[in-house]
Amino acid sequence: MANARLLVKRLKSVRNIRKITRTMELIATSRFKRAMDRATEAAEYTKKISEIVGDLGKAELTFSHPLLQEPGETKRSVLLVLTSNRGLCGGYNGAVLRNTLRHLQELRENDVAVQIEVSGKRGIKFLNFQNIDLDRTYTHFEDSPAWAEVDELAGRYAADFIAGRIDRLDVSYTSFQSISRQTAVVETILPLSRLAADSDDSDSTVGVDYEFQPSPQEILEEIVPAAFRARMFKCFLDAAVSEQIARMVAMKGATENADEMAADLRQQYNRARQSGITSELAEIIGGAAALE
Amino acid sequence: MAELNLVLVTPEKTLFDRPVASVQLPLFDGSAGFYPGRAPLIGRLGIGRLRFTTADGNEEAWFVDGGFVQVRGPQVCVLTSHAVLVSEIDLQKAQEELEAATKETAVGQEAQEALARRQERARKLVSLAAAR
Repeated sequence: MANARLLVKRLKSVRNIRKITRTMELIATSRFKRAMDRATEAAEYTKKISEIVGDLGKAELTFSHPLLQEPGETKRSVLLVLTSNRGLCGGYNGAVLRNTLRHLQELRENDVAVQIEVSGKRGIKFLNFQNIDLDRTYTHFEDSPAWAEVDELAGRYAADFIAGRIDRLDVSYTSFQSISRQTAVVETILPLSRLAADSDDSDSTVGVDYEFQPSPQEILEEIVPAAFRARMFKCFLDAAVSEQIARMVAMKGATENADEMAADLRQQYNRARQSGITSELAEIIGGAAALE
Repeated sequence: MAELNLVLVTPEKTLFDRPVASVQLPLFDGSAGFYPGRAPLIGRLGIGRLRFTTADGNEEAWFVDGGFVQVRGPQVCVLTSHAVLVSEIDLQKAQEELEAATKETAVGQEAQEALARRQERARKLVSLAAAR
C-alpha cells in the first residue's frame, strides 16, 4: 500500500500545479486581450503617419533626414533586447535571446562595438550568466508599455544617432504577425530604412491636392522622428502582445499535460489499490484455509 | 448643414472621432480655424489649445502637444503625441513643472531647443488651466 500512498501524494501535487497553470492561462488570456486592444489602437497612429508620408511622397520631395542617412561605416551600434520580466511563457524569451546571441556574434565578427540594452528580468539574467556586459537594463516595461516611457528611450537614441555617437540601432524582439504567429526577429530601426508602413491604402489619397503648412520639407523633418518613435513603440507593443500569447499557449499546454498526468496517476493508483485488496483477500482466504 | 469629422489620435489610442461644426487648433505659427469645406491641408501643429464646436453649440477644449493635422474633405485628423482635456489639466503639477523648467539652464543648441520647448509646453499648460 506504500506505493498507493505515494501515488496519492503525487496526484495531489499534479492537481495543485494544474490549478496554478490554469489560473495563469486565464490571467494571460485577459492580459492578452488588453494588450491586443492597445496594439490595435496604437496602429491607428502609425497608419495615419504613413498616410501623411505617402501624401508627402506625391509632393516630389527628396527624402533626406539625419535619421534616414546611412552612415559611411558602422562602428558603434546599440542592440536593444526586449524580453519579459516573468517566466513561464514557453519559448518566448529563449527565441529572442538565441537570436540576440547570433546577432551579437555577427556584429563582433564585423568589428562593431556593441552597446547592449535589455528590458526584462529574464533577458538580464540570461545575458549576465553568459558574461555579456549590459550597458543599461530596464525592468519597468510591463505588459502595457506607456508611450511616455518608450518616447524617452526613442528620444535618446535619435539624439545619439544624429550626433553620430551611434551608427546603428537594432531591436531584438518578438514581432506579432497574427494571433497564431509570432516570430523572434532582429530589426534595424536606425537608420530608418522605410518610412511608410505597407501603404495599401495609398490609392485612397490619389488626386488630393494638399496645401502644406509650412512646407512639405519642414513637415518631413518633423514626421521622420515621429515615425521612428511610433516604430519603436510598436516594437514594445508587439513584444507585450507576443509575451501574453506565448504564456497563454504555454500554460494551456501545461494544463493539458497536467490533466493527462493526473489521469495516468489515477489509473496507476486504482491498480495499486486493487492489487492491494486482491492480495489482502488472498491472505485472508489463505489464513482461513490454514485454520480449517 | 455640412459637418466636419474630427479625429484626435495619439500613439496610445484614438481619443475621439466625432462630427463637429468647426475646429480651432494651434498650427506651428499661430491659431487656425477650420470650417466644413476646407481645402485639403497637411500642417504642423504647435503646442496649445484645440477647440471645437459641435452642431448643437457645445464647446470642448483640449490641450495638444505638437504633431500634425491632415484635412481631407470632411475629415480632420489630428495626430499628437499627447493630448488632455483642458478641464483635466492638473494646475498645480503644471505650475511646478513650469517652475522647474524656468530654473533649469541648458548648454548647446539641441538642449536649449528642448528646454525652450519644455518651457513653452509648461507655460501653455499653466495658462490654459488658469484661464478655465
